[in-house]
Amino acid sequence: MSVVRRFRPENRLAKLIATPGGVTIADALQQASVELESIRESCMDALDEKLRLLTLLNAEPTTPARDESMYYISNEVFGEAGVFGLEELSSVAYSLCTMLDAGERAPTRGAIIRVHIEAMRALRHPDMAGDKTARAAVLAGLRGLTARYAQPVDEPLDDELST
Amino acid sequence: MSDLDPKARVNLSKAVVLIVETTKHAAEMLGQILKGFGVLETHRCVSAAEAEKLLKSKAFDLILVDPDVKEGDGYALLRNLRASMVEPNCFAPIILMSGHARVSKVKQARDTGANFFVSKPIAPNVLLERILWVARDKRPFVEAGKYIGPDRRFKFEGPPPDSDGRRNSDLKDPLGDAFDPNMSQNEIDDLMKPQRVIV
Repeated sequence: MSVVRRFRPENRLAKLIATPGGVTIADALQQASVELESIRESCMDALDEKLRLLTLLNAEPTTPARDESMYYISNEVFGEAGVFGLEELSSVAYSLCTMLDAGERAPTRGAIIRVHIEAMRALRHPDMAGDKTARAAVLAGLRGLTARYAQPVDEPLDDELST
Repeated sequence: MSDLDPKARVNLSKAVVLIVETTKHAAEMLGQILKGFGVLETHRCVSAAEAEKLLKSKAFDLILVDPDVKEGDGYALLRNLRASMVEPNCFAPIILMSGHARVSKVKQARDTGANFFVSKPIAPNVLLERILWVARDKRPFVEAGKYIGPDRRFKFEGPPPDSDGRRNSDLKDPLGDAFDPNMSQNEIDDLMKPQRVIV
């Protein structure tokens, strides 16, 4: 049986946050949005570059290394697009990650991956920016494709939590 | 969704924050959000090796990590940091920011010793809420076997209704009513009273 030691280290962050001064929560959130907007353009360029890379990788022969690279790039698109409110693009990227992580070798896999990448590129097209209905339709079409590959995380947690 | 009080004040001007992200742009986004919150000093890394080096030379008040960071393993970085026992960084609040959750990584994430997990994409209000949460986190640290970090147990009120629960120890059937009468106060007192035992 392992020995369990409990202790309470100093939380410096708690002390700093409570010091007089600072800003209101409302101002902090508003200023954060302003600061984010100031880098929107460069982040959008970076996103487009990632989509270009995904297209190039998808043209290569399927290997675990290629899939791994595509997974990481798609995961980056998921996180970065969502911060700027590109929800549909972020969702498609997440769906592609699920697809690549499933490791399923169905005959349709290549086509489904290609559809995801095309959908992401379409969502970045200027015509789609103001058309929420079209964006929603793209997303709805893709959702059915990956649903059967998604693995629910229902593994029971072991008793380690009782430490 | 937010429980944040817009009029409450927060002072992060003296907090030193480490951002460990997968890309330069992702780190920049977080840096900008933190700048908006009033943080004046942030350090950004896009590799675990770089972060490890920085953690040895600089004290941080908050650490934000994406475990998918390049050139190394973000999970190992955090486990090693907690296990290093080099203060103050080994006890610094850590927020783990995960993108797509790989099934194979779920248990690993739980054992890193992070204070909180946040799913990407990260909106400013969510990040601020989590920062305030880890600042107010009252859980003790636990050192048990290979695990060092905040106690992973939150208040446990049993599995959700109409579910079998996820822990092996969750009771599967309804407990039902007690069938023995309650103990009297004398019986309870007797349980506490030291007894002389003759073997």
